[in-house]
Amino acid sequence: MKKHMKRLLITCVMVSGAAQAEDLLPDISRAKAKDALYGQALYQLHSGDYAAALGSNQALRKRNGRRYGKILDVHQSIAELGLGMNQQANQGFQRLLADERMALVPRPARAQAWFFLAKSFYSQGYWDNALTAMRKVDEQFLNSDLKDEYHFLIATLEMFRGKPSRADKHILALKEDSPWATYAFLNLAVSYTERDVHIDKVEAAFNKALELTKNTQQQKALSDRINLMAGQFFFDTGRGRTAIKHLRSVNLEGAYTPKALLTYGWALTEQWQYHEALQPWYMLKTAHSQLNQDVQETLIAIPHLLEKLNAKVLALGAFEYATEQYDAIHKQLGDSATRLNTGEFIEPLLASQVPDKWGSFVPLDLTLPNHPDRIYLKDVMSQGYFQGQLTKLRDLHVMRHKVIQSLQDLEAFEDTLATRKQEYSVIKADDAVASRERRYRDMDKRYKTMLNNINKAFNNPDGTGLASDQEKGQLSQFKSVEGRIKQLAGTRVMDSKREQSQYRDRLRRVEGVLKWHLSERYAERKREVSSQLAVLEAELRTAKQRLTSTRAAFEAAPDAFAKHPERIAKLRAKYQQQLTKIDKIYQRQRFAVGTIVKEDIKQRQARILDYQLQARLAAARLFDETSNKARSLAVKTASKNKNNAVAQGAN
Amino acid sequence: MELVYSPKRIGAFLLFSFSLLFASLAWTAGDAKLESNIEELKAEVVELNRELFELEEQLLYPATTSFAVFVSMDSVKNFELSSVKLELDQETVTSHLYANEQVDALRRGGIQKLYQGNLKPGMHHLKAHIQGKDSDGRPLQRTVVVDFGKARSSKYLEVKISQNPKQQLPEFAIVEWK
Repeated sequence: MKKHMKRLLITCVMVSGAAQAEDLLPDISRAKAKDALYGQALYQLHSGDYAAALGSNQALRKRNGRRYGKILDVHQSIAELGLGMNQQANQGFQRLLADERMALVPRPARAQAWFFLAKSFYSQGYWDNALTAMRKVDEQFLNSDLKDEYHFLIATLEMFRGKPSRADKHILALKEDSPWATYAFLNLAVSYTERDVHIDKVEAAFNKALELTKNTQQQKALSDRINLMAGQFFFDTGRGRTAIKHLRSVNLEGAYTPKALLTYGWALTEQWQYHEALQPWYMLKTAHSQLNQDVQETLIAIPHLLEKLNAKVLALGAFEYATEQYDAIHKQLGDSATRLNTGEFIEPLLASQVPDKWGSFVPLDLTLPNHPDRIYLKDVMSQGYFQGQLTKLRDLHVMRHKVIQSLQDLEAFEDTLATRKQEYSVIKADDAVASRERRYRDMDKRYKTMLNNINKAFNNPDGTGLASDQEKGQLSQFKSVEGRIKQLAGTRVMDSKREQSQYRDRLRRVEGVLKWHLSERYAERKREVSSQLAVLEAELRTAKQRLTSTRAAFEAAPDAFAKHPERIAKLRAKYQQQLTKIDKIYQRQRFAVGTIVKEDIKQRQARILDYQLQARLAAARLFDETSNKARSLAVKTASKNKNNAVAQGAN
Repeated sequence: MELVYSPKRIGAFLLFSFSLLFASLAWTAGDAKLESNIEELKAEVVELNRELFELEEQLLYPATTSFAVFVSMDSVKNFELSSVKLELDQETVTSHLYANEQVDALRRGGIQKLYQGNLKPGMHHLKAHIQGKDSDGRPLQRTVVVDFGKARSSKYLEVKISQNPKQQLPEFAIVEWK
């Protein structure tokens, strides 16, 4: 029982301690505001994308790792832990902490590195190492969120190592509203059960843990778990009433219902409440699958109880029913073992996992709708070791998927390069760039000619250069009229000076109107032409820039497809090599997982056979008892009847 | 039945015990080796993927046309980021919904590469729609815009969310990395 409790406790701790690894990181902001790669690495790490974070970390080291100091080592180990690379992460942290230069790392980072290492050891079950590392954590440099977790973990470890007084000190240091306080009091209760502490103290610890569940996210599930643990403990120690009180509080539709119903039934049986005990067992039998081990126990427990109630015929029927059911369960387990060999058991589960998600913080998706092994799988998954091995197999499966995807990516890259090469050869064959250059040169020449003409036109600011033919005729007419006035001056036609001046003035006025008109138009036209010229010039400049870019791109284009094929080929070879390695390791891990399942199935089948044997023996005994009684009753009645008949005959 | 402890029996028992012990040790050693093999594989796959990623960047986003938009957020107290949508030259190019841990990653100094693409030289227009909630849980939406020129070199822009120290309000801007 104690072992069982401890296993429950560890599972509980592991679930509760599933905080993200990056939570343990010191808050060191990025070294340089615009260091994109470092910033990205931080983002990936803190948001749980450990594979990308590790990749960025490698790139940063390759680029200029030294400028970041030891923080890259801390990041690397955290990312490794996130990916389930515990051995490498531990080595990394130990190297880091052993390094004298670690003194240069800020004290919060150092404290958190020790904390993190301790947690890593803890999750792997190396409690002594975990405690040693945890004792080196300088508590004052941990942030407030981590402090509670620190007190919880060190208290648990001290308890496991048999130092309860030290553990108590840490439990008292926990904040009451912290979710860790709940787990700490639960662990304290379990520790009391193992230290023969007075039963009242044990109950008080369980009750305190129950009270504190309100601070946790999964209050219902945790309350059920605590009530079940308390119920089992009190039942084992012969305190049936207290056990019943706790077991009755377990939710009827939860993960702990079957175990609670079974123990509840046994606790009632111990209190001689046989009729009452039948109810939870019937509930358990009818509402849950027979692959559940608690249901299997119930199958034999019910007739046992019926026998105690002196319902022997009923008990006989129930034993016979149980015998048949055990046959069916044994067969179902055998079928699971067969499916394991034919790849119909583990493989569908792996195929249903999210393809990009892997690492120790990514839970396995156990939903296998309509699969015959789904109940068994959930049952076997409660074993931490199996869960760990299956997670590793899932990681290998995801890696395999990723490698295959990468090989497909490489193929796509090759296609891209081929397309680029083809496009380039078409452009080259068409001589497209040169023909565009020629067109540009023609356009430029035409522009320059036009510019000359325009300049000529704008040479004379009086605007005569922009006059129309009619206006030009008028201007020449002015000259001839002027000459004619001169000729006529002093003749009879125009003898007076006054008359001559009148003609000249009129001529000047007309000429003035025309020239004023021309000069006005000159300014307007010049403005118009200048703006159009500016637009044209800008367009020509852009065209020239584009042409230069195109020329540069055209010259550089072969690099876009000529440089990479060799690199792609190298990468492909590496990936293929990796795929072979993964396949090999996958098979070995698959075998390891299969071995665990086979072993588990064997044990379950052995237990079933044991139950079946007990049921058969009991059935045989009851059959004997019930059939003999019937015979003796029949004999008694017959002899009585005979005696009566003799007496009547004598009368 | 009487138990007889003959030397032969004791020897057989010891042999059996040792064989069990060795088998279990061999199993544990094999287990540890398999685990270290898996870890090595993981490290190699990560490194290979990094190489592939670098190749992809060089191949698909050459330096002459490469364009990227990053998102960063300082320790802004009264703003909870929900989503960012980017419009480049009047066309939606990407949008992202943030999970809690991603917002936390930004607060802790992380920079997210929100968009990467290729862009022709010339003038361009970028619009970022930022949605979130203020400290009272009320929805808050802001749009920031920038016109920028792209030459024949890579161009990086950053959608920056920071805290206005005087007003204690979040500030949004798009800044250019030079």
